[in-house]
Amino acid sequence: MDAVTGWWDDYFWGSMIVLQVFFFSLLLMVLFGLIGAAAKLSDNRLAQKIAGAYTVIFRGTPEILVILLLYFGSAITLTAIAQMFDPDIKFIDVPPMWAGTIAIALIVGSYATETFRGAFLGVKPGSIEAARALGMSNLQTFIYIRIPEMWRLALPPFGNHMLSLIKDTALISIIGLNETFFVAKQAIGTTGEPFTMYIVVGCIYLAFSTIITLSVMGMEKFGARTGEGAR
Amino acid sequence: MSFDLSLITESIPKMLAGIGITFQLMFLSAVLGLILAVILLLMRISGKWYLSWPAQVHIYIFRGTPILVQIFIIYYGLPQFEFIRDSVFWPILREPFGCAVLALTLNTGAYVSEILRGGVLGVDRGVLEAGSALGLSARQKFIYLTTPIATRLALPAYSNDFISLMKATSLASTITLLDMTGIARTIVAQTFAPYEVFISLAIIYMILTWIIQKSFGRIEKYLSRYVNP
Repeated sequence: MDAVTGWWDDYFWGSMIVLQVFFFSLLLMVLFGLIGAAAKLSDNRLAQKIAGAYTVIFRGTPEILVILLLYFGSAITLTAIAQMFDPDIKFIDVPPMWAGTIAIALIVGSYATETFRGAFLGVKPGSIEAARALGMSNLQTFIYIRIPEMWRLALPPFGNHMLSLIKDTALISIIGLNETFFVAKQAIGTTGEPFTMYIVVGCIYLAFSTIITLSVMGMEKFGARTGEGAR
Repeated sequence: MSFDLSLITESIPKMLAGIGITFQLMFLSAVLGLILAVILLLMRISGKWYLSWPAQVHIYIFRGTPILVQIFIIYYGLPQFEFIRDSVFWPILREPFGCAVLALTLNTGAYVSEILRGGVLGVDRGVLEAGSALGLSARQKFIYLTTPIATRLALPAYSNDFISLMKATSLASTITLLDMTGIARTIVAQTFAPYEVFISLAIIYMILTWIIQKSFGRIEKYLSRYVNP
C-alpha cells in the first residue's frame, strides 16, 4: 500500500468529482423520472408514446453506448455548427462531465419513470376519496396525501437507482472524466501497481454505496414511523 | 455533418461479426453465474456463520462496486502478482475473454443470488408446513417444494438481471475485446461517425433485449401454467 501514499489527494479530488456528478445526475434523474411518469399517466396519447419509447430505448441499450453516443454525437454536432461560423475550428466538445452526467441521468431516469409511475398508481384510492370528503383541493390532495404515500412506496427501488447512478459514474472515465478511475490509471503509469490502485477505487465506490444504502435504510425507517403497523 | 446511410449498411455486418463474442460472454457468464448464485444462496441459508458470512461479503463487495472496476482489477490488477502469473489459472487470466467472463460471473452471481433469496423467502409457509405434515424431510421439502415455487417467483427479476448482464458484456470492449461494442468503437475511431454507428448498434442491442424479454415471458407463462389457468 506504500505506493498509494502520494496519491491520496488525487483520489480525494477524484471522489469529489464522483460526488458532483452523482448529485447533478440525481437531480436530473428525478426530473426525467417525474416527467416520464407524468407523461405515462397522462391522457395524452402522444406523451404516452414518447415516454414509452424513452423507457424502451434507455433500458434496452448498454450504458456505455449511451455515454459514447451522447459525448461523441454532441461533439460532432457542436463542431459542425461552430464550423459554419468559423471554418478554422477543429473540434469542440461538451465537457465529458456534463455529457456523462446527462447520459447516466437519462439512463437511470428511464428506470425511475417506471418506479414513480408504479408509486403514484400505488396510492390507495380510499385515501384520495377521504381527502376529497374532507374538502381538500386537488393541490392539497397532491401535497398532503399523494406525495407522502408515494415516496414511501418509491423509496426501496429509488435506493437502487441511486446505487446505479453512483456506479455508472465509473463509466464516464471512458470519455475522459478525471474521477477516481482516471486517477488510478495515472497512478499506475508511475507506480506500476495496477492491483493496489484499482482496489483503492473499488473501496471508494464501496464506501459511497454503503453510505447510500444506510441512508435509504434510515429514510425507510423514518417513513415507516407513522405507517400502518409493520409495513 | 450528414447522416451517411451507406455507412450504416456497411458497418452493421461488421458489428454483427462480434455478436458471437457477445453471446459467448453472455451465456458463459449466465450459466457460471447461476451456479455461483445457487452456491452463495445455499451458503446464506445454511444457518452456519462460517458459510453465510463469506457469501454475504461477496455479495456486498460485488454489488457495491462498479462492474468496470471489477473487470479492471481482474484484467489489469491481478497480473501484478508473481504467484498469479505462475498459477494454473494464468492461461485464463492472461486472456481478456477469460477475465471478462470471470468478472461478469462474479458480478452476476452476487445479484442473482439475492434474487433467488427473494424467491426462497417468498415461498408460502403453509406449503412448507403441508410438506412437514406429509412427512417430507428438510432436503425433500427444499427440492420438491421450495425450488419450483422460488424459481417461479424469482424469474421476473432474473430476466431483468439477464438483460443487465447482456448490456454489461459491452464493457468487455474496455479490455481490448472485440465484441459488438468494441468493433463499433473501432469503426467510429476510423470514420468519426458516432451517430450512424452507435445508433445502429443501439438498435441491435434493443432487439436482443426484446428477444430476451419475450423468451423469459414464454418461460414464465410455462412455469405458471398451474397457477394462472
